Amino acid sequence: MNRAIRVFFLILAVLPLAWVVLSSLKPGTEILAAPWALPTTLRWDNFGKAWSEAGIGKAFLNSLLVTVATLLILMPISAMAAYVLARFPFRGNRTIFTAFLGGMMFPQFLVIVPLFLLLRDWHMLDTLTGLTLVYVAYSLSFTIFVLSGFFESLPDELAQAAMLDGCSDAGVFWRVMLPLAKPGLLVTAIFDAIGLWNEYGLALVLIPGAENRTLPLGIANLTMTQQYQADWGALFAGLVISMAPVMAVYWIFKDRIYEAMLAGSIK
Amino acid sequence: MKRAGFIASFLAPAVLLYAALVVYPLIQALTFSTYQWRGVSAKRKFVGLENFQTLARDNDFIRSVTNNLGLLAGAGIVVVAVSLIVAHLTAGPGRSAKLLRGFSLVPQMVSLVAVAVLWQFIFNPEGLLNATLRGIGLGTWTRTWLGDPRFALGSVGVAFAWYAVGFYALLFGAGLRNIPAEVTEAAALDGSKGWHQFANITWPMLWSVKRTAITYLVINVMNTFALVFLMTRGGPDRASEVMLTYLYEQAFQNSKFGYATAVAVGNFAVAMLLSLGILFFLRKDPTSSRRSA
Repeated sequence: MNRAIRVFFLILAVLPLAWVVLSSLKPGTEILAAPWALPTTLRWDNFGKAWSEAGIGKAFLNSLLVTVATLLILMPISAMAAYVLARFPFRGNRTIFTAFLGGMMFPQFLVIVPLFLLLRDWHMLDTLTGLTLVYVAYSLSFTIFVLSGFFESLPDELAQAAMLDGCSDAGVFWRVMLPLAKPGLLVTAIFDAIGLWNEYGLALVLIPGAENRTLPLGIANLTMTQQYQADWGALFAGLVISMAPVMAVYWIFKDRIYEAMLAGSIK
Repeated sequence: MKRAGFIASFLAPAVLLYAALVVYPLIQALTFSTYQWRGVSAKRKFVGLENFQTLARDNDFIRSVTNNLGLLAGAGIVVVAVSLIVAHLTAGPGRSAKLLRGFSLVPQMVSLVAVAVLWQFIFNPEGLLNATLRGIGLGTWTRTWLGDPRFALGSVGVAFAWYAVGFYALLFGAGLRNIPAEVTEAAALDGSKGWHQFANITWPMLWSVKRTAITYLVINVMNTFALVFLMTRGGPDRASEVMLTYLYEQAFQNSKFGYATAVAVGNFAVAMLLSLGILFFLRKDPTSSRRSA
């Protein structure tokens, strides 16, 4: 009995996505005409069309660039800040930590107008650099929060031993503590990466042009342009292209991702 | 002294970036909302609280607030109920429980853009849902779901629930694991099982998780943007308009930056009030008196 209900919910979760994959291999006209039918011919060229003509390839590379660049800046500066905040009780420590935590409290749309005008004044609107900097800034709260938890749990003895051996504070961090925190860094980075890959609201406002569109923008745009051609094959192939990397990462790391998702919500 | 330099240098990059791109715009948001302003600095005019007075009389804004609240009530109940069921189903050992746990979170991993596109095709007049209804002989039930003011918001709610359930199931699942086995075993010995056990033992003991889940729900639903923006554009005739799509329209289509920021502040205020209300309402641990007794 329970097993049957489990299968029911499993199908509910997966069936819509399975339909996307099925549709991505169909001739565009069959997608709505015969939604549940298997494709009459397998149209692998939908993927080629999506990648080149529909601009999904360019958007894919933009997303990859922004995600990787964000992580390359975000992870070191968050780790440094989290380490200091977790292990050095200096004056003002709690104030700074609380200020970072506060960033998780408000929606990004609260600041979307000032942010838009700020980037416009800095001539960084519609640039991947601007989007990357904004992504780093808005990922700091969560990343510092989770990483400080990892640094707090590391044993003191190792740091003290390294200090006795003549290591500087910075040396202890880079040579001893950071390698120990690697598992924590990995989970946090993966979780951040998934969110960044899928991000839409900030990108919509900060990237108004076509050249620098990220994947979510590319897909949203494709929905509108394909409407007039009524050829949905490339759109569904684009959807598959955008989802595939996240699905792969999720399936490999899912147990670790659960931890990151629960971080901060269960005390 | 050397240590102070070390601490400052380690904090500086994160603090500077955060101050420039998070804290500074946040302060600006509050001041912008008191201006009548179209984004050209010379034409900025201080109007005090006028934007908020306009907001309070703006029927389109009020409509978007009630839509947000309707979405919260409707989708909220569905999400909590379904995720509790899924959490129970994934609690056990065994392969099917583990598979369900793995797959129930798959929708969470998909971009909201993809979720919106997918559900647009499901609710399309010629789409998956209507085709399936016709296929099983329920042709009279077919609707133009997203184009019908009575169904547009509900349809968006269904897409939201599909997307969100996995996360809340994970949350409740963690809560269920935190209930000590002795408690449920003792209850079972006393003859409490099934629905009785859920209503009298499990549900009250999920108290802190419930509070977290409802707070998250409030925040998530009040922040709804992509689903509505891409599925209905707030239509037909604002039937599914939410606060953030209204904000976007005011700011980036009408260039009313001052007014749009007032909408943003209003949105934040509604979310905060609701969250605080929930924290107050669920402030007491219902199991604590029994524990101490």
